[in-house]
Amino acid sequence: MNETSIVVSGLRKRFGPTLALDGMSFTVGPGQVTGFAGPNGAGKSTTMRIVLGLDAPDEGSALVGGRPYRSLPCPLRVVGSLLDAGALQPGRTARNHLLWLAHSQGLTAARVDQVLEQAGLTGVARRRAGGFSLGMRQRLGIAAAMLGDPPVLMLDEPFNGMDPEGIVWIRGFLRALAAEGRAVLLSTHLMSELQDTADHVVLVGRGRVLADRTMPELLARHGSLERAYLELTRDAVEFRAAGSPEASR
Amino acid sequence: MRRALHAEWTKLRTTPGTGLLLLTVVAATVGIGVLASAVTDCRAGGCTVDLAKVSLTGVQLGQAVVAVLAVQVIGAEYSTGMIHLSLTAVPRRLTVLAAKALVLTAVVTTAAAAGVAGSLLAADRLLPLAVTDAAVLRAAAGSVLYLVLVGLLALGVTTAVRNPGAAAGLVLGLLYLFPLIGLATTDPDFRRHLDQIGPMAAGLAVQATTGLDSVAVSPWRGLAVLGAWAAAALLAGGLLIRLRDA
Repeated sequence: MNETSIVVSGLRKRFGPTLALDGMSFTVGPGQVTGFAGPNGAGKSTTMRIVLGLDAPDEGSALVGGRPYRSLPCPLRVVGSLLDAGALQPGRTARNHLLWLAHSQGLTAARVDQVLEQAGLTGVARRRAGGFSLGMRQRLGIAAAMLGDPPVLMLDEPFNGMDPEGIVWIRGFLRALAAEGRAVLLSTHLMSELQDTADHVVLVGRGRVLADRTMPELLARHGSLERAYLELTRDAVEFRAAGSPEASR
Repeated sequence: MRRALHAEWTKLRTTPGTGLLLLTVVAATVGIGVLASAVTDCRAGGCTVDLAKVSLTGVQLGQAVVAVLAVQVIGAEYSTGMIHLSLTAVPRRLTVLAAKALVLTAVVTTAAAAGVAGSLLAADRLLPLAVTDAAVLRAAAGSVLYLVLVGLLALGVTTAVRNPGAAAGLVLGLLYLFPLIGLATTDPDFRRHLDQIGPMAAGLAVQATTGLDSVAVSPWRGLAVLGAWAAAALLAGGLLIRLRDA
């Protein structure tokens, strides 16, 4: 498989009585933004955690650049990821947060300053990250993902908490990364953002892939990504309010 | 491993509170040591107590601060979720734990050495104690090792339970429980057994310099008992962090 890609094949994962992943398989190719969407509980986060070696699958495998994540000597130079923007020590400054990460990959403070600049955080670099808004933490998380200048990026809900200017920035930023030939996996519930950003969409539900198509294909068939999502995930929604338009169908 | 060490050192160095906790280790150890030395009166008819042990009493308070610091080293990562980022950066989990253990050992050794040296300097002035005596130096070096081992015990326990509050309670409980049961018991043989297996009582045996033929456990063997507790905790923590989903 391509060196700059994520290959997920036949993942199964059970948490107690819940089957979180039920044969999840897809590929994230280089040079494009791949959207990763599906209802809550569909297994998106679990899949990403398995790709990063945080959780072990019961069956199947996840490879990054042809190798299991845990075997990578400097993983952040291969995959940049943002799973939870709040996962930081609140008392540490933004710059020091990136500094320990840089040191863990044999990178220097000069690289830290570069990614701070890239994420628009230079002005607040020496402020405590605990005082950051969610949007600023997302920027810090994206800076952390970019530290190792990785060919593969995997971001979970990076638009959350972002102001409109930030959303526009991420959209352009991810498009530019894909144009440089990187593989970008973007998980989000915001279908309109995804429609404007992704070239390809992997729709998942109940732990498996429901649809794996290019954006033009989905738009041609369903009109909009939101309609495509609602129609394709209709039978895979775990949590739905009574009386919602989809519940009565 | 070098990169993981560098990262852990940067983390510890940039965690607010690390410096203050280390200073507290020194202050608590010296402060209680000076107090204990000052109230020990040896003028009338000489001293019957173990003066080296008295001068190093502060270690018993210093250990609580060491435990808090050690719990923070990995406990704060579990409570914030930052452990996921750490394990994403360094997927070899035992390397992460080993790096944490090494940086913790380095800073605790430094603070403990300062605290123990301060206690002995004070005792040198306040008590008729020959601080360059081989047994006294053994008690001093042993006290530094004692504090390091308490730190490693706390690191192992916190890695295993993943919750800083529960871990702090467990470690302090483990340290102080055995002496408390000892107080409640009247059977001298049972109390002697408790002193032989409890991490605190056995470990502090390394401070004994007099009456060595009547102690429950000999100095180095006692410290080895604490070493076994610390090793068991690190082994449990290492196994669990390796096997569990993060």
